[in-house]
Amino acid sequence: MIEVAGLTKAFGATRALEGVSFTVPEGTVLGLIGHNGAGKTSLINILSTLLPPTSGTARVAGYDVVRQGAQVRARIGLTGQFASIDETMSGRDNLILLARLLGAGRRAAASRVAYLLEIFRLSTVANRAARTYSGGMRRRLDLAASIVGRPQVIFLDEPTTGLDPEARHDAWDLVQQLVDDGTTVLLTTQYLEEADRLAKSIVVLAAGRVLASGTPAQLKAEVGERSVTVVLGDGAVGPAALAALERANLTGTYDRARRSVTVPIHDAAMVAEVVGCMNEAGARLDGLTVVEPTLDDVYLSLKGSAATGSE
Amino acid sequence: MSTTLIPATAPPPARVDLSGIGPPLHGAGALRQVLVLSGRSLRVLREPALLVPNLIEPFLLLLLFSQVFRSLAQVPSFPDGVSYIDYLLPAVLISMGMTSGVKSGLLLSTDLRNGVITRFRTMPLWTGAVLLARSFADAALNAVELLFLLVIGALLFGYAPAGGIAGALGAMLVALSLAWSVGWVFMALTTLLRRPESLQQIGGMLTFPLMFASNAFVTTDGLPTWLRAFAEVNPLTHAINAARGLALGAATPSMVLWPLCMCAVTVLVAAPVAMRGFRRP
Ligand SMILES: Nc1ncnc2c1ncn2[C@@H]1O[C@H](COP(=O)(O)OP(=O)(O)OP(=O)(O)O)[C@@H](O)[C@H]1O
Ligand SMILES: [Mg+2]
Repeated sequence: MIEVAGLTKAFGATRALEGVSFTVPEGTVLGLIGHNGAGKTSLINILSTLLPPTSGTARVAGYDVVRQGAQVRARIGLTGQFASIDETMSGRDNLILLARLLGAGRRAAASRVAYLLEIFRLSTVANRAARTYSGGMRRRLDLAASIVGRPQVIFLDEPTTGLDPEARHDAWDLVQQLVDDGTTVLLTTQYLEEADRLAKSIVVLAAGRVLASGTPAQLKAEVGERSVTVVLGDGAVGPAALAALERANLTGTYDRARRSVTVPIHDAAMVAEVVGCMNEAGARLDGLTVVEPTLDDVYLSLKGSAATGSE
Repeated sequence: MSTTLIPATAPPPARVDLSGIGPPLHGAGALRQVLVLSGRSLRVLREPALLVPNLIEPFLLLLLFSQVFRSLAQVPSFPDGVSYIDYLLPAVLISMGMTSGVKSGLLLSTDLRNGVITRFRTMPLWTGAVLLARSFADAALNAVELLFLLVIGALLFGYAPAGGIAGALGAMLVALSLAWSVGWVFMALTTLLRRPESLQQIGGMLTFPLMFASNAFVTTDGLPTWLRAFAEVNPLTHAINAARGLALGAATPSMVLWPLCMCAVTVLVAAPVAMRGFRRP
């Protein structure tokens, strides 16, 4: 549904993209993560025909973004990093304008827009000029604007930046439903939790190159190990606990301040072993947490290795 | 002991039914798009606060010119039997047409700075739609201004040309055509330069000498030779001749057709340039 091959983009001497390739199958979400200036927005702008690529090819919904721009535009929706709405018009008039331009009749446009305003919780401010909207309202209007025409492919450039938790969950829910409906979504985000939660696959972009890609689970497996942390009850049982772990061929680290012992594990069954060792040491457990590596870990470790690799 | 404030299971999100939005849309026809966008640009007609300055301007123009230049009707070369207001008003129409054309460019640069233009560029929109809508909306606004000028001219300044109402409307059409073609030139400049300030300067630099080195306020016979030579090739002189000829009921076909053809040719050249410039990111 989205096929990117060897895409490069240069702005004068700045090389925003240096040979990016990936595909997004129909009806899935690809999460694009990367630091500021990694090239996420440039990539989205090329895919939505706002910018021509310097070299390489990109196809969206089966059409080439350079040679078949019109066909691409008939099938996509974009929520850019910065709201693209008419500030002088009301939220409702903004959406009606878009619906009419996309081919809805006067009445169909009005009811389509009323529905969108409802689900984006904008009904109460619908008739106010958009310049009076809060940042989050603007963002929601922009999101609504990109799905007015029910496009096949949607690009979301940091869609939840500036949204409150409720609106963010709404947006996540929306993306999930778009996908359930067969829409293909490419989203960029700074929130790794968001990519983790929504995306079937993730591409990590750094300085215009794909640093890593895969499912969230694969990426995590590459860096992270899981670990179990137990909080010990009263009594100076830390050393005893470590000794018990050692006898079971496990290595733990004791945190005196938190009175906790952390043990790396490679499968869930090992949690029972750790608990067994604690019983053996006579320690009472006050708490137990299994820590999964997060995409933050992935991101930071990849960035670290990239930095050392390039120096 | 640790306390959790967030419940382990988040409340289920409200499922919205996306199918309620309606079927996919793939873009209206080009004509519909132009009409919808023109309607948007014409919101100014519905807002008195925005329209009033546009109407005060022609009134002031007429007042100033008719008072300042009235004495010119006494000079020997002035045509007999024509009152100065009958002579002047078609030139004011043309002057307003010229200004309206320059304004088209400025308004387009405002359009291009509007955030929504980025969205338009990702939508199935015909390239010319935004430009043509600007042109239509400005023509409509210009028509209102010109009509207003004719009406106050007749009511307050005693404008009663020999060509009657038909002649006056004919003069107005010439002014509209001029506005239309100058509008396309300035829209092309806007898409190429993308700089409203330089546009305003170019507009001023062109309008002023073209209006004054013409037969707008005086007959060219009274001008120094070099200025007369310029005035006679000045396209505005031809447009004014056509408008004046129609209003005074003394137009010959070539007098009217020649400037209209020039307008059409100008648009044919400027419009593709504007469209190409618009497509540029
Ligand atoms: N129009 C432009 N002209 C010149 N350089 C540009 C232009 N647009 C982007 N760049 C450069 O290209 C690089 C990538 O920018 P891009 O906006 O794609 O990054 P990003 O990943 O979206 O960053 P962020 O997370 O900050 O939004 C940056 O170095 C930026 O300065
Ligand atoms: Mg960006």
